[in-house]
Amino acid sequence: MRLLWKLLRRHVSALQLAGFWLTNLVGVTIVLLAVQLYSDVRPVLEAPDSFMANDYLVLSKEVHAGQQSAAFSADEIDDLSAQPFTVDLGEFTAARYSIMGGLSMMGYGMSTYLFLEAVPDRFLDVPAQDMRSAHASTPGDAVWGFKPGDRRVPIILPRNYLNLYNFGFASTQGLPQMSEQAVQAFPLTLDVTGNGRHERFQGRVVAFSNRLNTILVPESFIEWSNATFADRGATGPSRVIIEVRNTGDEALLSYLRAREYRVEGDGDTGQADYVLRIATGVVSGIGGLITAMSIFVLMLSILLLLQKNTRKLQDLLLLGYTPARVSRPYQLLTLGLNVAVFVCAVPLVLWARKTYLPFMTLIGGDGNHTPAGIGTMLTVGVAMVLTVTLVNAIVIRRQVRRLW
Amino acid sequence: MKELSLRHVLPRAFAPPATSQVWGEDIVFTRGKTCLVEAASGAGKSSLCGYLYGYRRDYDGVIAFDGTDIRKLGVRSWGDVRRHSIAMMFQGLRLFPELTALENVQIKNNLTHHKTPSQIATLFESLGVADKAHARVDRLSFGQQQRVAFIRLLCQPADFLLLDEPVSHLDDTNAAVMGRILFDETRASGAGVIVTSIGKHLDLPYERRLAL
Repeated sequence: MRLLWKLLRRHVSALQLAGFWLTNLVGVTIVLLAVQLYSDVRPVLEAPDSFMANDYLVLSKEVHAGQQSAAFSADEIDDLSAQPFTVDLGEFTAARYSIMGGLSMMGYGMSTYLFLEAVPDRFLDVPAQDMRSAHASTPGDAVWGFKPGDRRVPIILPRNYLNLYNFGFASTQGLPQMSEQAVQAFPLTLDVTGNGRHERFQGRVVAFSNRLNTILVPESFIEWSNATFADRGATGPSRVIIEVRNTGDEALLSYLRAREYRVEGDGDTGQADYVLRIATGVVSGIGGLITAMSIFVLMLSILLLLQKNTRKLQDLLLLGYTPARVSRPYQLLTLGLNVAVFVCAVPLVLWARKTYLPFMTLIGGDGNHTPAGIGTMLTVGVAMVLTVTLVNAIVIRRQVRRLW
Repeated sequence: MKELSLRHVLPRAFAPPATSQVWGEDIVFTRGKTCLVEAASGAGKSSLCGYLYGYRRDYDGVIAFDGTDIRKLGVRSWGDVRRHSIAMMFQGLRLFPELTALENVQIKNNLTHHKTPSQIATLFESLGVADKAHARVDRLSFGQQQRVAFIRLLCQPADFLLLDEPVSHLDDTNAAVMGRILFDETRASGAGVIVTSIGKHLDLPYERRLAL
């Protein structure tokens, strides 16, 4: 091998190889950085407690002035759930009686009218352990759920309600700001009135949702309480939630446009994710292009090298060397170069990542999400090295065989 | 490989002389026999070697190794043939100028591991090129290069040795040494020898002489 290399390294141009190494390094670094950025940003946008994560849409109807009801009819719901893009459908059920929510703290009390809604539990995305922590004071209680006779009703609040209070109301009115833990510790009273009856329940905020814009209680509570207290007849749901495979599906979008259904929270996760996909796609496309071009240049210079060493290669074949053996030094050369590029690109990506990670909290809201590891990026990098080296090896081998 | 046969082989590139005992004839070279192919310049000596060693195919007729048409041999089989069955010393030598004399021999022997380093050293000694072993081969005279190429020829097991004008630039003493070494080697291994010549012959007890 040493002699073979001594012979075949003739005409190897260090400048050409350095040029390849540098351009390929730029290309591969861009591709890997895009992959890393994508895997870091995704979990923030697809936070586990985001009710409206990528694949869920909350739909309501366009409201027109003077309109009696913006509820979905049974036919409309059947039609919607029959659509090919709909994986699952759940209805929002509203409480049809009056509710007065009260809060008393250090001798002060305040109360307000509330509305409550429920959706089927399978659409619930709040991690169970988050709810359990709020209930630590009363072990044995069901965390999320209600059965007749219970005095306690778990509640999920939209996180933006709290934000509105903390940053809009409290800060301008000189009131204390409240943490999520503090709110979860508050004893709430729910005074339910209707159908000539009145009852008081203990409410407890067990979790916050990033995306769900309603005060949510268990469906079992809504069903029982509507049967007990409702003094108005049931109407169709005014909002439904659907699970879809792809929020960007053209069939889905045109269906919604044609029926004037509005998507709640539209332009949030779905679109951000879409923009993220496009952005990383474009960036890795550019990186890929640079990589491809540098690989092309490497191939050209290796082919040129083979051309210049044609006579030597032919003589080696005449001595009984196989094309595989004669190709090997050049194949190892490309492998070495590709590995060198990868080994240098990874620290560059990690360094860039270190500079952008602190900014993740800006787009991630609460900053509680641990960013993804570097596994995906490394896998993509290794796959790139292997693929490129394999392609190089095949081209070199074919070129040498052609000398036969 | 026991037999190397030619059936009605005619070169396409030129018209061979009508008196040829090889072109257009049925010839069989047998393992263990020594044959001299004599030719005038331009009679197709190197073409014949190229056909037999598989790097030229511009001929009509059939060349066969033990009855197998060599046109059917693939890249892999030719590699095997050149490592185990046929050894060739080229007229143009085909040494690598950037390697030393010894390295030129090693690059073949590394492939076959046929000779030990001491055997190679002895051959360098016998042929009077021991002092040139570590010199770049392009610094050597053509006669010295012929001797290096001859040593490389011996660095493989072979059923046939093909030598294309091996002594064209050697003095009589060195030619005689080469002849004796070749004789000893082939008597030990039982290999057949085919030598071409346009005038000066490698000194061997030839069992057969053919005019090309």
